[in-house]
Amino acid sequence: MYRGVGAFRALRSLAVVGAIGILVAACGGGTTTNQGTQLAADQTLRFPLNDDIGIFDPAFTNAAVDSAFTQNLFDGLLKFDKDMKIVPDIAESLPDVSSDGLTYTFKLRKDVKFSNGDKVTAKDFIYSWSRAAKLQGDYAAEVALVDGYKDVKAKKATTLSGMTAPDDYTLVVKLSEPGGYFVTQVAFFTAVTAVVSQKAIEAGGEDTWWTKPETLIGTGPYKMSARTPKQSLEFSAVDNWWGSPKPTLKKIHVDVISDFSSAVAKYEQGGFDDVGFGDMNAAIPSEDVLRIKAGPKVSELHFIPKTRTTWVGFNFKKPPFAGAAGKDLRKAFSLAIDRDKLVDVVCSHGITCAKATGGLISKGLKGYLGDNADPLAKFDAAQAKQLLQSADPNKTKTKGLVYQYNPSDFNKAIAENLQSQWQDNLGVKVDLQATERATFFSRRTKEEYIIFRHSWQADYDHPQDWFDNLFTTDAGNGGTGYSNPQLDALVKKADAKKTEDALADYKQASQLMIDDAQYAPLVYALGVFLTKPYVKGPQANAFNDPYWNELSIAQH
Amino acid sequence: MLSRRALIYLGERLVLVAFTAVAVSSIVFLGVHQLPGNAFLSDRRIDPVALQAIMHHYHLDLSLFDQYKLFVSGILRGDLGESLVNRGIPITPLLLREATVSLEVGAAALIFTIGLGMVLGVIAAIKQNSWIDYLATATSVVGYSMPNFVIATVLVLIFAVYLYNWSGGAIYYEIGWNGTYGTLGQISIPAFALGFPYASIVARLTRASMLEVLRQDYIRTAKAKGLSDRIVIIRHALRNALIPVVTILGPLTIGIITGSVVIENVFGIPGLGKEFVQSILSRDYNIVIGVFTFYALAIGLANLLVDFLYTAIDPRIRY
Repeated sequence: MYRGVGAFRALRSLAVVGAIGILVAACGGGTTTNQGTQLAADQTLRFPLNDDIGIFDPAFTNAAVDSAFTQNLFDGLLKFDKDMKIVPDIAESLPDVSSDGLTYTFKLRKDVKFSNGDKVTAKDFIYSWSRAAKLQGDYAAEVALVDGYKDVKAKKATTLSGMTAPDDYTLVVKLSEPGGYFVTQVAFFTAVTAVVSQKAIEAGGEDTWWTKPETLIGTGPYKMSARTPKQSLEFSAVDNWWGSPKPTLKKIHVDVISDFSSAVAKYEQGGFDDVGFGDMNAAIPSEDVLRIKAGPKVSELHFIPKTRTTWVGFNFKKPPFAGAAGKDLRKAFSLAIDRDKLVDVVCSHGITCAKATGGLISKGLKGYLGDNADPLAKFDAAQAKQLLQSADPNKTKTKGLVYQYNPSDFNKAIAENLQSQWQDNLGVKVDLQATERATFFSRRTKEEYIIFRHSWQADYDHPQDWFDNLFTTDAGNGGTGYSNPQLDALVKKADAKKTEDALADYKQASQLMIDDAQYAPLVYALGVFLTKPYVKGPQANAFNDPYWNELSIAQH
Repeated sequence: MLSRRALIYLGERLVLVAFTAVAVSSIVFLGVHQLPGNAFLSDRRIDPVALQAIMHHYHLDLSLFDQYKLFVSGILRGDLGESLVNRGIPITPLLLREATVSLEVGAAALIFTIGLGMVLGVIAAIKQNSWIDYLATATSVVGYSMPNFVIATVLVLIFAVYLYNWSGGAIYYEIGWNGTYGTLGQISIPAFALGFPYASIVARLTRASMLEVLRQDYIRTAKAKGLSDRIVIIRHALRNALIPVVTILGPLTIGIITGSVVIENVFGIPGLGKEFVQSILSRDYNIVIGVFTFYALAIGLANLLVDFLYTAIDPRIRY
């Protein structure tokens, strides 16, 4: 749209050139927060998504895009604050834990209400968690430790027997076995542990209640106020919300723009206040990142370590990488990778990712081994060649290897770089094969691939999420067939302990994997955000966007 | 008014269009069901119980034949099902809205194409071998040889970035529509990008057929009668020169419909073209089938419209 006549923007640019006084007049009168920031009159936050949201029902939420919204629409007993510390949410305080580690007692706040005005009681939590266990969404296992989970899952019961409510504001949760990570799972409320309203779900329909603003009822500081499918979403602050801080932003407007170059251009025009919220921190094209980095607006770019690690996986059941015999070969393939070169090529000169030198649990998370602590991440072409020579002197075992990946610009760039490095540094020719995502994941899970791309994005800040999903013998997402009884025992022991006490065990387990040369580490992801300087409040952390009620728009 | 025969013909054609739409969607339906895996696989292990529930929700647990029966009966009721990725979104209203957005842009592009193309063509023919002719011909060669995604990107650069920086944000083209439909200013640039290559074709064709018509005896007669140049050109020459132009209107409309796939993505227009790309990328097969059905309908109807335009231009043509 051409804006010529009396445009607000024209006034603003005039003000920049001329007197500051006009600027203040042009932007209109604002109010002042208690921190002393002058607030803009229009408290609307606008940002883009590259596709519409998937599902807002906490029992099913499985995508970071969706939880970036549900974290503002729903609440759980506990939550992660902006520094990723676990703090009470609907609970009054952290739970009392019995000495055997099996019984957790939560005291609930008495002033919590759904956005339809109904009070939240302990019974609502029993309903919500049981419903999630029954529906078996991707994250249902968040409540798997609760006694009775197996029965509900098998449809032998409808309510988790481990949950009781002695009174309206006391919730007692009995676990079937001790788990130090239980508190972490409870705080991960953007999935199944959020409280939902039985009344709203029954009124709106099990499958559809969350699709319409009228029936999407939560306890969060915001509610959905409008939605045009695949085009835009709008959220507005809940009046007299029970929690704190009270929301300053009145409205959140989200546009769906599939081409993110266009979204960045619109941001530069002032049409968006942020690009990166809503799990879009990997969506900004690297050309744009480089251009903005070299320009005057560089201070609006923020790089935040994201909890995603990418590595090369090896098959432990099929030759040539199988078992102890394949260990030298696995190590050779890892040491032959110059990760400086890799990040230079695949991450726009290392600005959108960093080399993974501290183990598979990525930087910024509990269980990270420390910079340069992982010997598998060293580049040593001479040693790699030597190892290859001893393991495969005739180069017959490494003939015809095919590196498998699922197509994306990033995965392809990594694959091609690895191919050339293995050729140059090892003298081994590896073919590449891209397989459509769904098929790739299903084949990888079935352990059909010999050497392949793997990555994991942490669900919550606990090593258990990595070991139980990827590295133990019965982990479902490893794709390697790796089995180390010593590691299994160590992880089982650690899982039962309190997080602080368990870290040493997990680190020891990581060490076992290094000794086994279980993987070839590649990179840790960095998230890129573009945020206007007038958006005040905390930045996104490794997991979450900032909560909307902690943000405000300063006068500009 | 249409004669009885014309009405029968119209009826036949409409049935044919409907049949084509069902056939196209059936082919796409069978095609996507041959693809390995399903839309619900992720890098996370999904519980078999939950997978079963979700497959059941979308009837994916039925045999292909039963699914096809449900699909065809749905199509006949105008119900294209529910999005696989953005759960709970019914597809028919979604695509209808997006189709009207695309229609808005497409119609603007078509008007622009025909208008600019004919004006350029007529001027070039009248002033044959003058500098105006060369300029018009050169412009149309450039337009014809530049793909619309290049034009679109360059236009975004000029109007959304350079103009914004140059004017300090006072005048610029605002990317991405606020709301479903664009303003006149917002439509103009995508319509230009979409229509320019085709305007060039129209210009070349108009010029060639104008030149031919201008040499006809009846033009000389008209001039000999003492009619003014303007009347000769508009009333006697242009109308006859239009017939070959109308002939390419069919392929041209189709070109604009398919060209919108690129243009809508570059300009962030929430139309059918954007949906086409997005649904394929997100493997939302239900929407993919729906979009193809809509495209088949649109192309069939556009062809039908063009055929009827003939009768308006050339009285010799009757159905």
